[in-house]
Amino acid sequence: MLCGVRSGGLAMAALAFLLLLPRPVAAVVLDYGGRCLGDANGDGRVTSDELVGAVNNSLAGCDEVLVTLDFRAQVGDLPFACGQSYQDVGLSHSHWVPADLRFYIHGIRMLKADHSEQPVRLVQDIWQNDDTVLLDFENKNPPCNDGTPQTNTSVRGFVPAGEYTGVRFILGVPFDKNHQDSSSAPSPLNLTSLFWSWQGGYKFLRIDSFIVLEDDFAEFRVHLGSTGCRYGRPLEVAGCKWANRGDVVLTEFDPNADVIVADLAALLADSDLTSNVPNTAPGCMSDREDTDCEPVVRNLGIDFDDGFSSPATQKFFRVAPASQP
Amino acid sequence: MRIGSRPHLFTAALLALAAMALNAPAHALEPYVFDLPQRFPIPKVPDDNPMTVEGVGLGRVLFYDTRLSGNQTQSCASCHQQAHAFTDGLPVAVGSTGQFHPRNSMSLTNIAYSTVLAWANPLLVQLEKQIPVPMFGETPVELGLAGKENELLERLNRDPRYRRLFAEAFPVADDPISVASVVRAIASFCRTLISNHSAFDDYYYRFDDAALSESALRGNDLFFTERLECFHCHGGVNFSASTTFVGKAFDEVQYDNNGLYNIDGAGAFPPNNRGIMEITGDSRDMGRFKAPTLRNIELTAPYMHDGSMATLESVLIDQYGHGGRLTTEGPYAGDGSASPLKSQFVRGFTLSEQEKADVLEFLHALTDETFITDLRLSDPFLATLCRADCDLDEEATPADLRTAVETALGTQTLAHCLPADESADGAITVEELVAAVKDRMGGCS
Repeated sequence: MLCGVRSGGLAMAALAFLLLLPRPVAAVVLDYGGRCLGDANGDGRVTSDELVGAVNNSLAGCDEVLVTLDFRAQVGDLPFACGQSYQDVGLSHSHWVPADLRFYIHGIRMLKADHSEQPVRLVQDIWQNDDTVLLDFENKNPPCNDGTPQTNTSVRGFVPAGEYTGVRFILGVPFDKNHQDSSSAPSPLNLTSLFWSWQGGYKFLRIDSFIVLEDDFAEFRVHLGSTGCRYGRPLEVAGCKWANRGDVVLTEFDPNADVIVADLAALLADSDLTSNVPNTAPGCMSDREDTDCEPVVRNLGIDFDDGFSSPATQKFFRVAPASQP
Repeated sequence: MRIGSRPHLFTAALLALAAMALNAPAHALEPYVFDLPQRFPIPKVPDDNPMTVEGVGLGRVLFYDTRLSGNQTQSCASCHQQAHAFTDGLPVAVGSTGQFHPRNSMSLTNIAYSTVLAWANPLLVQLEKQIPVPMFGETPVELGLAGKENELLERLNRDPRYRRLFAEAFPVADDPISVASVVRAIASFCRTLISNHSAFDDYYYRFDDAALSESALRGNDLFFTERLECFHCHGGVNFSASTTFVGKAFDEVQYDNNGLYNIDGAGAFPPNNRGIMEITGDSRDMGRFKAPTLRNIELTAPYMHDGSMATLESVLIDQYGHGGRLTTEGPYAGDGSASPLKSQFVRGFTLSEQEKADVLEFLHALTDETFITDLRLSDPFLATLCRADCDLDEEATPADLRTAVETALGTQTLAHCLPADESADGAITVEELVAAVKDRMGGCS
């Protein structure tokens, strides 16, 4: 239910009144999630229960407002684009070409000046399921071949009207969803390129890229996800040694005027992209044996040794005015 | 009725039946019944993916279909070939894009009885969890389907035979052709890859005392001694400790370091092949792998998780006889027998020539020729030898012909008679029925 439900009798009377009005043939009105307005559970129909709930909330004085958190992917000051060439990336000052950028976040909260937190109730659609969102900046243009033409660069949800001065979220898929049957999971948790089946979960963050060398290309991938997972009861993952979820806290953020920048140059700033620890995956697959991971994981706000969140070292996300890059 | 004596009358009857339109009435899923000798245990099956004739039939087609790889060059069967007891004869697998896997393709013999899949991944406790790894995994790329699920489903949707097979196997699904259905059907087919017709099975489960030679019987005795210690890791009905079945209360999972490597004197295995340590992140798990089934072991060379041993004899003598392998040169040099991490059961032993021959004879008695020629487990894209043999039991009976007619009429699901649908379009035409009858009359039974 959206807000508190008041007397059902009153609502029924109101509903009966509405139903008696002449019913002109009209086009379908969509809500902010692109769904049929009034279809609260997204099943494609507006039932009388949903109508009663909406009438109730109207009478109760529902004061939730839509909040949109815009994200912008950048490489330093430049906008991110599949296949674009960027110079001077990483400690190695490399010539760098991205081939994928997608990540999941959840636990999204607006922060108030008094440090209190207001969870955002997400619009439910193909990008947002329960409290988990997929942000997708690749558009399948080469070399982003494993991606999708559709992109999603914002989080859309509802909060009570009020003054908000910051935002907080967790990079990754929540534990209770990370170990579900991915083959039959709802969107956006059913994208096979984000399955990480051999680790029993999802890739929380997927960055694929190429380093342009003098006469060759080298791969550099970052696949972040929980590792060291183990079963408790049969078929029930009890926990993971390295959760690898990043708690991101951004203060001085005005959702109406600012965007959240995901800056790949800042993320890779401390990595030598031209070297790879021998016998490890190119880049970082969240493997503790692979010390190429250390600076990347740290800049995501995650402790490399224990996989716990360490917000103070987070450099990937920052706030910037919407108007300027 | 004796079919064959009156072909014209029978054909006319078929035509009449087929003319009754092909409007398929609703039908129930038919439970798949495992064909097992007495005392042979029944595999556990997940509640949310029950075994059905329809699921198994669909799974068999998918298993052998190269459309199940990104570039349409490989299927599951590329690395899991029936003639090799569902492995590939290579040291390590090669994926659809040419990438080498660090591991040897595992035999799928009796995979339904495994408590845990793959060589070294404690997270893959169900086929439904394991199958997405070769399909969508990227390190390494195997079938190369990551990000290509819509392309895959479109390919399958274009095929009228798949449209019928999926709809019949998953009748309650809103959208029968889905990633989940593909995974479930392949898992169902894999659960039918049951080998129980080896000489050992004839001796032990069918009470044929002559099935094992004197030498094999002596090998059997040696296998189960504390001197060789084989059975601790390769014991039980499936010759693997990580085995479960209906009635077994505890799903045992066992991983061991067998002393195959000892690179640094501290028990190290080569990078990228360090056993379950790669999943658990626990250094004590260095070199711990699952002991695979020994059924059909004669057919699955080369051996070990990295295919680094060419023959069964060298595994027996150079590896286990030595109490771990001695690698004398190269980057992985070291004496595995001195590994501090190796299993207490890998202690080494000395065998006389006769004893060696006896143990090998016993291991060869685990070979199941029926399993590697069983048509029910074979490639459905190969030419059908007998279009009337609906159930692929190498006998075309009147019951088969009845099934073919019912399948043509839609009163029976297509999985009951794939051989009669020679054109593989999901419908059995009158011409195809006639062809099946001719095959039967031509003596394919």
